[in-house]
Amino acid sequence: MPDVRQTAFDIIHRLRSAGTQRAVYAELRRTGTIFGYDAFLIGGLPHSPSENLSDCSLISGWPPGWTQRYEERNHLHRDPVIRYIRATTDPFLWHEAAAHGDPRGSVVMNEAREFGLKEGFCVPFHELDGSEAGVSFGGTEVRLSEDARAGLHLVAIYAMSRAKAIARRVQEGDAAEGAAVGLTGREIECLKWAAAGKTAWETSVILSISARTVEHYLACAARKLGATSRVQSVAEALRQRIID
Amino acid sequence: MLRVLCGDVEALDPGLMDLIYRFRHNFFVDHLRWEACRRQDGRERDAFDGPDCLHVVGQEPAGRGAGTIVSYARLLPTTRPHLMTHLYPELLKGRSAPSGPRIYEWTRCAVAPGKRESAKGIDAVSGASFTAVAEAAEHFGLEGLLVQTHPVLVTRLMDMGWDVEALALPCTYDGSLLLPVYARLAPETVATCRRLFGLSGPVLRIPASDDTRPPSPAERPTLS
Repeated sequence: MPDVRQTAFDIIHRLRSAGTQRAVYAELRRTGTIFGYDAFLIGGLPHSPSENLSDCSLISGWPPGWTQRYEERNHLHRDPVIRYIRATTDPFLWHEAAAHGDPRGSVVMNEAREFGLKEGFCVPFHELDGSEAGVSFGGTEVRLSEDARAGLHLVAIYAMSRAKAIARRVQEGDAAEGAAVGLTGREIECLKWAAAGKTAWETSVILSISARTVEHYLACAARKLGATSRVQSVAEALRQRIID
Repeated sequence: MLRVLCGDVEALDPGLMDLIYRFRHNFFVDHLRWEACRRQDGRERDAFDGPDCLHVVGQEPAGRGAGTIVSYARLLPTTRPHLMTHLYPELLKGRSAPSGPRIYEWTRCAVAPGKRESAKGIDAVSGASFTAVAEAAEHFGLEGLLVQTHPVLVTRLMDMGWDVEALALPCTYDGSLLLPVYARLAPETVATCRRLFGLSGPVLRIPASDDTRPPSPAERPTLS
């Protein structure tokens, strides 16, 4: 990898525009060929003993065989990586987690090796509501330079943020509604600022684009919404819950 | 109760500014052990403090301990020397961060340790303080804030509705991970903060003068 920073920033740029979990998945697959991991998982930590992997996983790029085994044996509650996430805010390698866990954890690590997951890198998340989550990258040979570690850390932060935002949007169901009238991201952004009482000029300064472009976006939005004025566009967008 | 102070607060309300510097000393030096900031007079004041700063201050409401500072954040104009340019430019590895009259730097973020007890998740004082910073940014028409903090907190900024752009890879600084970012204020940032922290309306009391422009550094005497 010639320039880790630029490589990571390029990946993040694509992740930020990923509109679906499938797109996030595809980007992380591609990223694996650059950073040298074979599998990955984005997920939250269990809140109760009854939860299994499928309840917690947000995007899974684990080998299917390992997912199945992990579920069957309910490894979630003895996995040393999961336990270590709760104890640290800094990224770590799987073997560091195994060294801290109780002996039952080594069962999970040994089984993972059978599926080609010999080492890995995990980025922990500690959410505002007090819950924890993680992005884990694994493979037969995960060797990260200090720079690559930092780059993958940043990729994990954006992948998690994107995955959560998409999950939330799908949940709220406004993705379908926005798409129904075909508004673009920029059009929606201009509408939001219009709803906040900003003029086209003020919005143009905020978004670093020309006032004419803002007018253009608002006109396109009005057409798509079947509105004849800016006020009506905002009202219609609010009614359809495209903005809030 | 939260408010944002701007202008020459040291001259206008020296008593309050004194409380602020003492609160900062208690928090950053006595609690977080930033020994380099230790001062004999117990007031944590640095070269970046002055009439161009914005101070977002949370105080106890009327009653016992009224007026005691419980939370604080300092916003520095990026048109003057600030931390990213003059304290740790090496974080950016030779690159430059966004700057301009509508970009400030969020520094000295603090919540009184005694107020941070929460069984699960973030406490009410921290939530209100974070929301107040977003409200202040919106009130002054800011485009965004530069922030240098632990990556875990960067994720929280994202959750609070800031549009966060990383300015470098995370690095270890003084034994702790640090990630410099530019957090753009989005149309929904304030609403997202309020929803997240269960706040029904504004938390920030805006100065009576209702000056929506940040104080222009050019109009202020320079700080030596």
